[in-house]
Amino acid sequence: MPTIPDGVYDLEAVRKEWIGQKTEVAPGRYPVEYDPIRRHAHMVEDRNPLFLDPEAAKIGKWGAVIAPPVMTGYFAGNGAWPPSQGGNRFFREVPTRGDRMINMNTEWEYLQPAKVGDRMSTQTVLTDIYEKSTRVDPLSVWVVTENRITNQDGELVAVGRNTLLTHRPPEEVAAKKGEA
Amino acid sequence: MTTETDVAQRFWEDVQEGDAIEGFELTLDWTKMVAQVSGSQDFYQVHHDPDFAAEAGHETIFYNTGFTQAMLCRAITDWMGPEGWLRKFRFEMRRMLVPNDTVRASGTVVGKSEGEDGMGAVELELSLGTQREDVTTPAWATVLLPKRG
Repeated sequence: MPTIPDGVYDLEAVRKEWIGQKTEVAPGRYPVEYDPIRRHAHMVEDRNPLFLDPEAAKIGKWGAVIAPPVMTGYFAGNGAWPPSQGGNRFFREVPTRGDRMINMNTEWEYLQPAKVGDRMSTQTVLTDIYEKSTRVDPLSVWVVTENRITNQDGELVAVGRNTLLTHRPPEEVAAKKGEA
Repeated sequence: MTTETDVAQRFWEDVQEGDAIEGFELTLDWTKMVAQVSGSQDFYQVHHDPDFAAEAGHETIFYNTGFTQAMLCRAITDWMGPEGWLRKFRFEMRRMLVPNDTVRASGTVVGKSEGEDGMGAVELELSLGTQREDVTTPAWATVLLPKRG
């Protein structure tokens, strides 16, 4: 995420240039797969057969293992790491004051499940950029995006809204405060 | 090792406003920290490297978004059963989850309505909390449950 020195950061110019910009519809790197779902479930000791047991899932409502709903975005992307391979391009390109990031608020609507074998795609729209003071940086910049996730048939699977806090490292905040 | 455990089905008619969602508890030891990275594939150092986290201005590492939402999601999907559907989900990460925290995911039913597509809707308020703070991560969900008959 590019940063701009404090003295020349023009929030209104950044807002004018970036709000409303959207990505192309981009396919996820891999289809919905068993093993990432298993690792996700294992992380929080989730033993739900819907996510882990192909035989049980086959005779269930969805006819196949599904991803926990909060994993839908994972399969629509290029992988969370390294950042150069994927993630949200707005999170890397929107000019901010600092290069430190914390994900703050996430809101999702789920329309249908992501089943093993499905291919997810995503399109992201940048919906807001604003300044709001935080404990770590009085000039924190917040970035809000909306992700629309579709499946291989073009059907809407989920819509997500995400708020990212960006801030400067503490020594830079202290240095700028000292200059003021 | 994770082994499957059947999840009971819950029906819309059997749910009342004020019902508790019992949830579950996890202790954030170092093995859980590694599972966090594995399960989320989020290798940003503030979530696993204490020195990097301190340099960034944090007291120590803190657990990531993927882990946080996975705990809340599990509390919901365990509660609603295999025929239920998580329709809407929102959460706010107001306080951090840090090593050695014992985190509880729990909630309450706060409303019911007729819903959509033949299923009944239930509104939930949930949260994560620790031994240090009652609520670190409030969350809200709309769940669709099957109706009897």
